[in-house]
Amino acid sequence: MRSVPALGVPVGTLRVLPVRAWNIRALVAGPALLVGPLLLFMAAFYGYPVLAMLARSVTDPHPTLANFAQLAGDGVFLHVFGNTLRTALVVTIGTLLLGYPVALALSRMRPTAATITLTLVLLPFWTSVLVRSYAWMVLLGRRGLINEALRALDIIQTPLKLLNTSFAVDIAMVHILLPYMILPIASVMRQIDPSLPRAAAGMGATPWGAFRQVILPLSMPGALAGTLLVFVLSLGFYITPALVGGPRDLMLSQLIAQQVDLLNWPYAACLSVTLLGATLVLLAATQVLPGVRGAFRLGSR
Amino acid sequence: MSLSRRHLLALSAASLASWRALAQDAPLPDIGSIPAALKGSGEVRVVGYGGTMQTAQRKAYNDPFEQLTGIKVRDFAGADLNKVKAMVDTGNVEWDVVQLSRGSVKNLMKRGDYFEKIDYELVDVANIDPAYRFEYALDMLVWAEVLGYRTDAFKGAVPVGWKDFWDLKKFPGDRSLIGAGGSSNPELEFAVMAAGVSADKVYPIDVDKAFAALDKVKPSIVKWWDTGAVPVQMLTDKEVVMTSVWNGRMAALQAAGVPAAISWPEGLLKRDAWAVPKNAPNKANAMKYIAFTTMAAPMARLASLIPYGSVNAKSNALIAPAQLAKLPSAPGIKEKLVPYDYEWWAANRDAVLDRWNKWILA
Repeated sequence: MRSVPALGVPVGTLRVLPVRAWNIRALVAGPALLVGPLLLFMAAFYGYPVLAMLARSVTDPHPTLANFAQLAGDGVFLHVFGNTLRTALVVTIGTLLLGYPVALALSRMRPTAATITLTLVLLPFWTSVLVRSYAWMVLLGRRGLINEALRALDIIQTPLKLLNTSFAVDIAMVHILLPYMILPIASVMRQIDPSLPRAAAGMGATPWGAFRQVILPLSMPGALAGTLLVFVLSLGFYITPALVGGPRDLMLSQLIAQQVDLLNWPYAACLSVTLLGATLVLLAATQVLPGVRGAFRLGSR
Repeated sequence: MSLSRRHLLALSAASLASWRALAQDAPLPDIGSIPAALKGSGEVRVVGYGGTMQTAQRKAYNDPFEQLTGIKVRDFAGADLNKVKAMVDTGNVEWDVVQLSRGSVKNLMKRGDYFEKIDYELVDVANIDPAYRFEYALDMLVWAEVLGYRTDAFKGAVPVGWKDFWDLKKFPGDRSLIGAGGSSNPELEFAVMAAGVSADKVYPIDVDKAFAALDKVKPSIVKWWDTGAVPVQMLTDKEVVMTSVWNGRMAALQAAGVPAAISWPEGLLKRDAWAVPKNAPNKANAMKYIAFTTMAAPMARLASLIPYGSVNAKSNALIAPAQLAKLPSAPGIKEKLVPYDYEWWAANRDAVLDRWNKWILA
């Protein structure tokens, strides 16, 4: 739910963590000393406050599970949770379909071209999410660039309703989250030994065959890391749906914010637990899915 | 992604800053001498909403307060009821004066002892209407939630009041109203007035009647807005022909040359209020600051800089007529507005929002 620190973090951590990270002997040895300071810092300034906040969902004002009981019968929550999952799914698929080819292209470019492309990918990444959401308001508006262009070309007579719809949320979020998909995939693709597809070609594979049987499986760890990252980030989106979404496009984080503003902290905490729980279940599920573990193991080789 | 709504509010305010009708060169009335009781030493920490408002507040009364009382003002953006609660709960109060609304103060007081009583011994009570005074908060800014419309949308026809807003035949086009995001409440008042309730009989609100009226306008509402920048943006871009909007934002829009106007009748007269969190570190200075800023001249100075009105009856005489005509507290405008009933909302907010959430998703 909270913002993810900038670049670089996702790929490495996501690939290292699942693999026997809880092996005690490994923790006691050298790495523990290296990770220790950060771990202490996070425990004190992140772990404790988050747990204290989450504890509110079952202890405020007295020990109770009433909040969670209420959750199950809360039609508003169910609708909003469903909408949140749908949006996250659509955005993840969108970024994967658009991001994968870009990452593939990046891995095949000459260094100069790759640097320029990477900069272009990163440029919006460094722009405030607010600015990018506003930019989409300008583009999608009734008098926005898209509608005006379509009208000038005589393709439409009356302006299309693009802004303040679920479509606007999806497209704006795909744009905002695209770098989170491209970077992990590109990073993994760059590590693929270029002699492998060449060897495949040498043994008679068509370019498509070499891609399908060599590149695609080897790039799966990156695609999976990107998919998880985008999906998890999407679950917590707030500003973009608020700005470009329609009347019914409420996301879970907006509902949480509303409950906080109502001073209904226990219920807000309960909603947060649910969001966090859903995220963790998802992460765990990807470990269990057949093939996925292999993909991770491959990546952490 | 993790920006809070308040940040969002401040940022969008900043993005609109160039539009704001901040009359930088307006001649400001002199404050002159002040009661000895307001003088002191040390500092006071004041929290507002940042942006143009805070710039205006600095010029209107923070700087003179420092000069005349000897108390240093440290101002911050990000006033937030939840932070007050957290600060008092943890015994770590960092703020002395917070700009909130009476409704917020009441809501939190329902849950415990979170605010100090206002020291009315220091306040210019002779000139501040009892309606603006409350045990734990003193109103300090008068603004209005009004009907804003595009003047080029209806061939010269002028919508007056909420019956016209609800009249989709006479005034066709998409609309926008406030939603229930953030600290704002849905505009049930407008709905019941559209259903025929007269302005003086709005409270207590007939909630069933309000939702029945909202049903009728719902299909033409393209956005339930929750930050002040959104309605002006939508009027500018012709996303809507009519919307509820804050009067100060409309003044800024008009100053920017957008063909849009305010229809004042049946607007809501709202107020921001100063409140002092329980056990504020500089409580005595906080009370002095509150008394000082609600005097006639400091209030008039703020109203001269930004089109929000004063709670002090003597202020209007000190404001230039052209600026006065834009203020919700001006004679001739104030009478058209319906004073917002913070008491009613404090008592009914939870139930209304519960119903609202279900209604909006239905």
